[in-house]
Amino acid sequence: MDKLAKRLREDAAHIECAVSDELDDRIRASLENIQPQKPVESQRSPRPLTFWWASSLTGVAAAIVLIAVVNLQAPDPVTTTTEPAAQPLVLPSIEWQAETAVLVSPLEQEFEDLQSDLKKAEDAVRQDIERLF
Amino acid sequence: MSSEAALIEAARQGSAAAFAELVGAYRDGLLRFLLTRSASFADAEDALQDTLINAYRYLHSYNPQWRFSTWLYRIAINNAARLKTVETVELGDLGDEENDPLSHCIQHQDRRNLWLSARRTLSDEVYTAMWLRYVEDMSVNDIAAVLERSVSWTKVNLMRGRKTLEAELHNPATDEKSKAYG
Repeated sequence: MDKLAKRLREDAAHIECAVSDELDDRIRASLENIQPQKPVESQRSPRPLTFWWASSLTGVAAAIVLIAVVNLQAPDPVTTTTEPAAQPLVLPSIEWQAETAVLVSPLEQEFEDLQSDLKKAEDAVRQDIERLF
Repeated sequence: MSSEAALIEAARQGSAAAFAELVGAYRDGLLRFLLTRSASFADAEDALQDTLINAYRYLHSYNPQWRFSTWLYRIAINNAARLKTVETVELGDLGDEENDPLSHCIQHQDRRNLWLSARRTLSDEVYTAMWLRYVEDMSVNDIAAVLERSVSWTKVNLMRGRKTLEAELHNPATDEKSKAYG
């Protein structure tokens, strides 16, 4: 342990502070009077089996009707004369040197935390500006 | 740790006694921590009471992937912040040491208590990070979770806090208005 850490620990130990019996009684009384909340569970009732059949059949019927309408109303194909291009267009090939980023949970968390840092910094600057002007 | 898990489960079922036993080990530490963030001893006591009540009430939201103490300190910080009214003195503005509740709780020491200097020289969040690191022995990841900051921010500001306090340690007459910003 380095000198500063040792000093901080020692100085914290010199802060004399304990929960008094009075406060302890107060806290216990408060705890006795409340109940922990229960997690909110979704109250969705299960769908009947016929519902899934009905929705599937409706979907299939709608798809058939759509295909039929699109095919019946399709315009005649336009005949076009194709002329050979004078010069073939040559596109420069680009060699990408990139790696696929795989976002895993800690990185996402870190990203959210960094966004949170940015927001807090913005708030701090805004407060400083308000205080100054 | 398994007994802690059992106590948490019992408390979730509504056992106030189990909850009191669960938080018994953390109460004094929490009060001491809250005292460093409050304008008076009474405020610190109120903040502790609110913290424990809220923790009991919302125990279902505790995620066991974090240490229980990490979750508890997060609630404590929120409660301390809520209790800070307009009249309440900001940590960085504690100019009069005699009115500082922390100074009344410090036992007689031959030297100046470094936490009193820290209250003047460090920003609120950096002070908290230093306290959690060096008094509560929390990991950097846990401190980041408590402060809702990134791990990088926490590391950088712990280092800034250290530098500021090292300067205080070596030169007690250092200008106390210098601050470590977060």
